[in-house]
Amino acid sequence: MKTDFKKIATDGIITNNPTLKLVLGTCPTLALTTMAMNGIGMGAAVTFVLICSNILVSLLRKVIPSKVRIPAFVLIIATFVTIVRLLLDKFLPDIYESLGLYLPLIVVNCIILARAESFASKNGVLASAADGLFMGLGFTIALTLMGAVREVLGSGALFGIKLWDFQIGFFAQSSGAFFTYGVFIALFAFASNLIANKRRKLSAKQVDNTKEVQ
Amino acid sequence: MKNFFKSDWFRCTAVLLCLLVFFGGLLAVLNDLLFVPPEERTARAIKKIYGSVPEYAIELDLDNGGTAITNDFGTISKKYLVGDDVLFRATGINGYKGGTITLWLKVVKTNENYVIDKVILDGYEKQTLMSKFGGDYYENFLIDVTDAYENGQGVFSPKADATGLKNPMSGATMSATAACNAVNCVITYLGGK
Repeated sequence: MKTDFKKIATDGIITNNPTLKLVLGTCPTLALTTMAMNGIGMGAAVTFVLICSNILVSLLRKVIPSKVRIPAFVLIIATFVTIVRLLLDKFLPDIYESLGLYLPLIVVNCIILARAESFASKNGVLASAADGLFMGLGFTIALTLMGAVREVLGSGALFGIKLWDFQIGFFAQSSGAFFTYGVFIALFAFASNLIANKRRKLSAKQVDNTKEVQ
Repeated sequence: MKNFFKSDWFRCTAVLLCLLVFFGGLLAVLNDLLFVPPEERTARAIKKIYGSVPEYAIELDLDNGGTAITNDFGTISKKYLVGDDVLFRATGINGYKGGTITLWLKVVKTNENYVIDKVILDGYEKQTLMSKFGGDYYENFLIDVTDAYENGQGVFSPKADATGLKNPMSGATMSATAACNAVNCVITYLGGK
């Protein structure tokens, strides 16, 4: 069967965006989006784990008995999370420190286990790797955008660069995280519905035109 | 016997064991390859304090000739001379669940007084609310140690109703105790000199 990479890409980034559509990985989304840089760091770490675990799960999907698939997936994910921790501690200590406790918690991030279970264990290696990449990108984009909004409004800075002295402390706090997340989900749902309605109208018009021609 | 090897029980156990051994081995190798030695961690901390790597940083012997100086507040495990400044690595005790917080303190001597010029976090044990301690928090500790001693205040207390230099941190008082104790450990050491 031919892999539809375009569908995988749009699924991961837009249609089934893990953060804004599926509402998965909420804990790091709320806790780490005080700065845009944190979003990029966390997103990159999750993307790496997603790609690697999806590839391995896909490779071993015929070897792992279905009865022990969940513990096996968790074992694979935990290994890659430990590798990410070691790599960040060695080469990017600042990001390692800013992600803190949330880095080992990637092991229990629903996005990774969900993709291993629902996609990688049923598809080929290339498709699984692409799914990991685009799901990770969707997660990274959502976190970075949220982080940017909260950083600009809450600290008057962007990527650590001071923009102005105006700050709204609320956005730097946990209540601000919930509010921003809610607004993002609402805007995303509104935009999705708008596009879906336009497409529906367009296809209805096409059907009418075809009928007229007949 | 043949049935045993074909059973689900055996297959499941064998697969999980194989994965465990393979990943365990892989992580053991990577852990060794990517290990960050204590010297590199110290260099990183010094770089964080000064913004760049200083020309020289000499590790000084601790006064008692031992590996650490311990008092009622905690332990000083390292002492460096960087230019005219002295850096201390101090671990404060009595944190949440009996854990500790380790800080680096840059102490500058001005007009015969010791002044704490910069404090940064090095690490912690068993503390779960460290995200509450932003960079601004450690600025509370930037005081003239000699003045504090002469004014009879002495050491920091995380409780608002206590006497001494107050440093309240609502919601994470136990961890604040350990952070204060790390600073108090150095203050006591310098005050006793």
